[in-house]
Formats: sequence, structure tokens, C-alpha cells
Amino acid sequence: MLQSARTQGLNLYTYSEVEDVQGFVGNFTVKIRKRARYVNNDCNGCGACWEVCPAYGYNEFNEGLDSRKAIYSAFAQAVPSLAQIDMNRCIKCELCKAACEVDAIDFDQKDEIIELNVGSIAVATGWDEFEPPTGYLGYNKYPNVITQLKLERILAPNGPTLGHLVRPSDGKVPKRILFIQCVGSRDLNMNTYCSSGVCCMISIKNSKLIKQHSPDADITVAYMDMRAAGKDYEEYFTLSRKEGIKYIRTNISRIKEDPNTHNLKIVMQNTLSSGGLKELEFDMVVLSASMVPAKGVESIQKMLKLEMSQDGFFKEFHARLNPIDTKIPGIVLAGVSQGPKSIVESIAQGRAAASSLARLMGKDKYRILLIRAAVEDKEKCAKCGLCELNCPYNAITVSDDGAEIDEILCRGCGTCLANCPSEAITLRYYREPQYEKQIDAILEEI
Amino acid sequence: MAGTIRAQYPATLRPVRINCTGRVTPSLMMRAIGKGADGVVVGA
Repeated sequence: MLQSARTQGLNLYTYSEVEDVQGFVGNFTVKIRKRARYVNNDCNGCGACWEVCPAYGYNEFNEGLDSRKAIYSAFAQAVPSLAQIDMNRCIKCELCKAACEVDAIDFDQKDEIIELNVGSIAVATGWDEFEPPTGYLGYNKYPNVITQLKLERILAPNGPTLGHLVRPSDGKVPKRILFIQCVGSRDLNMNTYCSSGVCCMISIKNSKLIKQHSPDADITVAYMDMRAAGKDYEEYFTLSRKEGIKYIRTNISRIKEDPNTHNLKIVMQNTLSSGGLKELEFDMVVLSASMVPAKGVESIQKMLKLEMSQDGFFKEFHARLNPIDTKIPGIVLAGVSQGPKSIVESIAQGRAAASSLARLMGKDKYRILLIRAAVEDKEKCAKCGLCELNCPYNAITVSDDGAEIDEILCRGCGTCLANCPSEAITLRYYREPQYEKQIDAILEEI
Repeated sequence: MAGTIRAQYPATLRPVRINCTGRVTPSLMMRAIGKGADGVVVGA
């Protein structure tokens, strides 16, 4: 992040949103809303403002484990290192303005709309942690049932507890910890996909981390299948078992809480042994929730006219042969926007996406096939708009002059002409009479 | 389609290559049936 902010010729727009994308490969027009921070670029991130700010609230970055002020820095290493004001929380006391030594606070700042002309687009929208329904496995109901992301913040050295493992209910160090795998994934009622073994590896990593902090911790991982597929992953899994982390193959359906101690009682059966049902008690339960597409990908999908896979991630050109490009030339996918994957795979795909675009943009010409749909007889067009509605590439606009097909956006699939009730559209090189002749010739012998 | 599962098409099947299944119009299918075909398979 820091390096990209320092690279010349690379413009980084943070705290911004893409609002509109028009055009085609080599010539996209992108409208970006740069949201007002109410702090200008003179800010040096010293933090004097948030020290005096009296308005407290939920800290999204730390999963609500602590609070942040109305004027804040998104997180410690945020790039660029500027403060920003959350206007929903600001009480406009202007104490920050008085505290700021470089006079960077500007309450009159407005959202800025930036229009960029770009040649190609890489979609890297990332992911969010799946939020289990309230009450499911005690989530949001019992204080000591947390998700993996919250545990990450608790274990982080710069987190709200400075890396000390404590449980939310009473701040004590939990000794008996249970990880539950596949929460919300591999489940026909929630997400049917497996999050690519990422949650398995995170559980192994975090349980090893906890073991380092407190060697007497009793850690159990309740799993469906441990998916440690990847270089050195299996060895890592084996190592964690040697360190004494217990793995139980089981399916947990219910968690009960002891209301006095806030400990959690779980009935489980190891499906790999004949031990039968056992009730076990834990101090803390960590739900390994699945990866889901980042919030707001639907609007990006509509703007770019990309296809979605069934799981809600962006659809690639070909699931096996080309997982990087999309069906729209000049738009590529990087990382989890295409599907759940680990850091290793995300880096590989990000680099592949960059080189795919470099190959495209390195040439000064872009060749297209002439197999394109065309409205050859404008008289026939009834301007009904069916073609515009059905075009998967957003290549058709219907106006009062009839349908207009953009020859660069059009990919020659012919869906428009199959839907055209007045037969006004033709597909060059694949015209109706050509097919009719073929069918006639084939069926002549009968 | 049949190729990937190592099945064989019947010898009486006659393929017509079309750019995209979106291009298939009902009139083409009806024409084939009208000319004496027993059926039309649309393979993606």
C-alpha cells in the first residue's frame, strides 16, 4: 500500500467509490466519487485531533471491540496517513480544528467527482466475512461466541487488547477454546461452496498462535474435513497436531451457555470414533465463518455488466482455462473478487491480471473480429428495446432513431437477433439464409 | 457435450455450428423440423 502511494504515475484514490463506468477496452470513462474527509492533504496524521474529540462510537476496524472517535484514522497503517471525520458522529464542536497544528481540518469540504479516461480495469473487490444469522451457534447471543475476524483483532499486537488473548464476557484468559469450521460454508442453507481451505488454515494458524501465548491452552477444532491443500500446508497441519491441538470430526448443531459463567456447553460426537455423544465445556468458541463477496459488488457488477457466478463472486472467462479475464475485453479479475482464495493464490492472480492487462495495453492497436451484429434495415426496427434488454455486453442502445449497436462492445453472440420480433438485426457472416441453406442441404437426403 | 463424457453421437445426427446458443432462432429449429428432422438438439 505504502509503496503504491509513493510510486510516481500511480494515482491512488482512497475513501472513494466508483459511480459509473462507460465505454470499451482502451477507452473507458470512469466516474469516481472522492468522498469528503473534511481533512485536507496538509494533515500529517499526528493524532492531536482524535485525542481531543469528545464523540465516541463503534470501531469497525476492531470489530466493535473498542471505540473510535468521530475524527479518526481508518487504522494505524492507513495509506495515505490522513485523518477523516465521520459526519454521522461528529457533533461539530470544532475542538479538533483548534487542536490541529497544520490547520488541515476543513468542515466545508465537499464530495468530489473525478472523471478518468482509462484503457483497462482490474476488479479487485475482495471479500467480507460471512455474518452468521443471530442465534446460529450462539452468535450475537452469547458474548463468548466470536468469529474468526474478531479473534484476529484480539490476537493482533496493535489490536484493542494489544495482542493479549482475553474473552469478551469477563476479560479473563480463556483456556478451553473451540474452533468451529465451515460456519456458513458447505451448507445447503447458507453458502454451498467451500471457502477454498482458507478458514481451515486460519484456524490452524490461530490455534498455534494461541498455543504460543499460553502453552497450557486446550484447543479443539471441530471440523467437517480439514482442507490443507497447498505447499507446506499439510506439514503445518501435522505440526499443529504434534503441538497438542485436538481435531474432532463432527457437526455441531447447537451451543448452550451457562448463564453464570458464560462458558459454553456443546454436545458433539466424534464421527471417526465410536465414543458416542459427549458434552464438552469451553471458555470461548470461535466460528470460522466463510468468505463472501464484499458488500457493494452488485453495483460494480451492474456498472461493468459482468456476469456473476452462482456463489455471488464475479464470473471469469473460463473457470479452468482462464480464471483471470472476464468476457468483457479490458476487464480482468484479481483475488477474491473471482472466488475464495488464499493470499498465495490472490497474489498469483493479481500478478496474472496485471500482466494480462499489460499485454493488452502494450500494443497500440486492438484487433476485433468482424463477426458483429448490425441493424442493416433501420426501417424494420420497431424500437421495442428487446435487444437492449437482452444484450449481455451492454452494446445496444435504443433511441428514437432505432437500435444502435456499438461494434466494439458487441461480441457477435447473436442473442439480439434471436430476440428481435421484427427481424431487423443481422449477424455478419452468420446470416439467417446461410443457416437455412445448411439445414436444407443436411436434410435433403431424407 | 457428448465428447466430454466420451459418449457417441448417433450417426444420423447432423451438426450445424452456430456462434452462440443465443443466436439460435425458433425459425431455424422449426425449419429443420419442417424439412423432415425428427428433433433438434441445442448443445451449449
